[in-house]
Amino acid sequence: MDGSIGTPIPRRDAMAKATGAAQYAADFGHTGTAYAALKLSSVARGRITRVDTAAAEAVPGVQLVLTHRDMNQDLGAETFIMKGGHMQSSFMPLTSDEVHYSGQIVGLVVADTTEAAEQAARVLNLEYAAQHGFASIDDPGRTKNTVEKPEITVGDADAAMAKAPVRVDQEYSTPAQHHNPMELYATTASWNDGKLTVHSPSQWVMGQRAALATIFGIAAEEVHVVSPYIGGAFGCKATLLPHTVLVAAAARRLGRPVKLVVPRDAMFTVGSFRPATRNRIAFGAERDGTMVAMVHEAVGQTAEVDHIAFPGTNVTSRMYDIANIKTSESTIATDVNTPGFQRAPAEASSFFAFESAVDELAVALGMDPIELRIKNEPKVDPVKGLPWSSRSLVQCYRRGAELFGWDKRTPGVGSMQTDDGVLIGYGCATATYPSAMVPAAAHVALSADGLLRVRTSAHDVGTGAYTVLGQVAADVLGIADEHVRVELGDSDLPSGPMSGGSVTTGSAGSAVHMAAMALREKLLLVATAAKGPFAGRDPATLQFASGHVVGADGTAHSLADILKASPAGSLDASAEWKPDLMDAEKMQASLLGGFALEGPVTKTHAIYSFGAQFAEVRVDPLLRTIRVSRMVGAFACGRIINPRTARSNLAGGMVWGASFALLEQSQVDHPRARFANQDLAGYHISSCADIGEVTAEIVDETDTVVNAIGAKAVGEIGIVGMPAAIANAVYHATGIRVRKTPILIEDLLG
Amino acid sequence: MQPFTYARPASLTEAFTLAQQPGAALLAGGTTMVDLMRGDLTAPSSIVDIGHLNELAAFDTSGPVLRFGALARMADVAEDATLLSAYPALAESLQLAASQQLRNAATVGGNMLQRTRCVYFRDGVSACNKRVPGSGCSALDGITRDMALFATSEKCIATYPGDWGNALAAFDTSVEVSSASGTRTIPFAELHVAYGDDPAVETTLRRGEIITAILVQATPAGRCSTYLKVRDRQSYAYAVVSATVALEMQGDVVQSARVSLGGVATKPWRSHAAEAALTGVTLNEQTALAAGHAGFADARPLAENGFKIELGARAVARAALVASKRI
Repeated sequence: MDGSIGTPIPRRDAMAKATGAAQYAADFGHTGTAYAALKLSSVARGRITRVDTAAAEAVPGVQLVLTHRDMNQDLGAETFIMKGGHMQSSFMPLTSDEVHYSGQIVGLVVADTTEAAEQAARVLNLEYAAQHGFASIDDPGRTKNTVEKPEITVGDADAAMAKAPVRVDQEYSTPAQHHNPMELYATTASWNDGKLTVHSPSQWVMGQRAALATIFGIAAEEVHVVSPYIGGAFGCKATLLPHTVLVAAAARRLGRPVKLVVPRDAMFTVGSFRPATRNRIAFGAERDGTMVAMVHEAVGQTAEVDHIAFPGTNVTSRMYDIANIKTSESTIATDVNTPGFQRAPAEASSFFAFESAVDELAVALGMDPIELRIKNEPKVDPVKGLPWSSRSLVQCYRRGAELFGWDKRTPGVGSMQTDDGVLIGYGCATATYPSAMVPAAAHVALSADGLLRVRTSAHDVGTGAYTVLGQVAADVLGIADEHVRVELGDSDLPSGPMSGGSVTTGSAGSAVHMAAMALREKLLLVATAAKGPFAGRDPATLQFASGHVVGADGTAHSLADILKASPAGSLDASAEWKPDLMDAEKMQASLLGGFALEGPVTKTHAIYSFGAQFAEVRVDPLLRTIRVSRMVGAFACGRIINPRTARSNLAGGMVWGASFALLEQSQVDHPRARFANQDLAGYHISSCADIGEVTAEIVDETDTVVNAIGAKAVGEIGIVGMPAAIANAVYHATGIRVRKTPILIEDLLG
Repeated sequence: MQPFTYARPASLTEAFTLAQQPGAALLAGGTTMVDLMRGDLTAPSSIVDIGHLNELAAFDTSGPVLRFGALARMADVAEDATLLSAYPALAESLQLAASQQLRNAATVGGNMLQRTRCVYFRDGVSACNKRVPGSGCSALDGITRDMALFATSEKCIATYPGDWGNALAAFDTSVEVSSASGTRTIPFAELHVAYGDDPAVETTLRRGEIITAILVQATPAGRCSTYLKVRDRQSYAYAVVSATVALEMQGDVVQSARVSLGGVATKPWRSHAAEAALTGVTLNEQTALAAGHAGFADARPLAENGFKIELGARAVARAALVASKRI
């Protein structure tokens, strides 16, 4: 099958996953493995005053009980990712008697069986001197910590707002949410001759490798991190998590492999989560709909032990052509595990607020919400005045409106109903996602058996990287898809980027493209050399197609024949790619497992993907239950390598957006400062029955700036506009403006 | 999970003997027992697996008394043609419970005894008089949206979760239980105990007793019935509120009514007040809603679940109107 760029080939890994052949981290086994279980803190704040391991050690089969008392201190210092390290948090469990949050790891037990380890962890007796904790930004007495640097000021927002004839000014809130990937966190660690092998689902094997090397005082080459398949990550597997360190430490101490599968309830506190937010959004506009002022004050939840913020002001300030913009950011520290990346970390929460406010402005103006947005479409980035690398938002709105049937919308609240009185609401919202780029390396090889191997330590987090990265190489070399093999998710491969920030296709894809182009040059050299089949021809006249090199006169020779003319009978090429404006030193640091981004706003351009999203909701007039009957999204993300995987990714984001709008929240038990609904019965994510028709449309777009292959961000944009589109549709159906998620039955009972 | 012994009795008689041992627990479909054990919410010293005892798996919906063997699978009962046409409320309560996979494994007897989803019971760390008698109740000052409005106490405000049990409460149901010492029949209203007094005690079953069958008196109101479940998620979610209504109609006038409520009480909750308000009235949106409100007149709302009074009333109203059209 033709596997070139733009072809909707099926996922390369689909059969392995459907048949169970794909091995996830917990599936890897070693002879003699011991099994670990976690002991989690039952208090939110305080100190451990007593440790009694007798009962735990008495459980038959127990090999090791680790607490802060006996966790040795010879581990090297690694740091929080936001401080330049690789860890999910600044705080490393078992390093002191301090308890910073409920569900903190306070012990690790290793035994011959999982059952024995779990039983021992249960009877491991810890006593605490507990203090009252706070896990919610709404708890009384929580103080704001203002972040000064990222403030954006354009013009004079206060003055323009005061003079504006039409204003809206509201606050919107979103709760803490957890990723809840299907695949639990799992780590198997084994030591062999001082070398560490870790199987762990990871979005960043190079980062994990670098961190584990630092922590255990060994060379990076002595750490092997393996993560070929990932059962959902969404950001929670991006950084190195503390249990992986503890499992590796236990394995070293015991001299045998140790495996830990983190149970579902512990997933709520061992890793990260999407922090709660409060966003105040104000707009000032002329009566004709011209936006003249915008204020965005973002307040986000962080942990006492760390400062991390996802305000979204960098993005909201770039959406509309507004001359007067003011933003501010602050955080509220709470006694929780450190929040972190979760699909569209800054954008999903802030756009619920921001795009709800745009809808409120449209209502205040009596304008169609799409026309309001189009009227205020900016020709350049409103903050820096830079050109867009590409921006097709208006085309997305036009195409999306057509697919959705927006013209059938009657603007009056409650004006659309079914024959049996069910209220119908139509809503829309803008989506965007920044296209930052990260350095990456790749290796491609063409062997005598006709197979093209593509290797980079990027990751397929379930979104199609195995497929699209192969297509990028196949496209350059004219090789059919069935002859392409892709290796990812292994730290022994050429350095790939963290699969975060929607960078994989653009960044790793550019490296693969570069390597494939280098291989193409080598093939042409061999082909046109004295002994080559095209001896004496000008390489520029030769083309690659269907596994052949074809001359201008139609003469074709298979790649296999050309390889026969090469000294080794095979050819390969490597490449290290970096964003144009990044310096080489930064690239090298990044390739060694650092974290270097270029963009989305560079010295020359603002680089973003854009989309227009639409929702139809149906509200039961009596019971006030909400059903999302249809969703449409039209997105422009530069060049689409594989429309099938791209659509699947975008649709998945939209499904999550519906879940965000109507279901998802990590409920805070205020008195005990903990997340209460720590299972999938209590933490609701969409079931199939919650999701009606989903249409993810791709709008053609060419971007010659973003990277070597013209591909902008796809991975996260799908979720961004959906919560507001649904909230706006709920308003249209009911006249009730719900300024928080999830929107529940009781919010509409009146 | 604490170590336990496992026995698979060859007969019901042998099961009676094994079930009498102190610390014994029965395993039927296993969909809830295994969860409870994994979470250390129950720690039996011996498991008596009765799931394979086929004599308890039969059910018959054709006679003057509907008889459901305790080990009949929820999925099988939910698809029974007689039940679907003559007692739609009962079939619907099963169809709307859990997921198809769980219904394939779970039994109607075990499901009736499903334990609360109260997060403070389930989390294994909070104070919970049900899990650790005398430890207190974290729910009282905690998250109360899912807690009960009826039959609560200062000791426990948890909600009984079962859809099937809540629907059975609207009918003349009884439960046949057997043990080594014989067989007795418990009226369904007396099977479950409100969690309020001693939250660790949830039923009137005695040690060694095994539920062998659920018996429902045939009634023409069965045809004119529905189970309405209101939930946050469209599938695989517990009821925010549910209403079971079974009616005998003469024209538009309600001759007799049966109403039970779910998601709002510490036990399956038959609402005599709603039944009285429906009986003898001409059914329309107003009278149906008035009956719903009557059903919640004695509700004791907590900080976050007061909305269930209005929502529950509306659920009763909708269920009554739906049921009345099933003639």
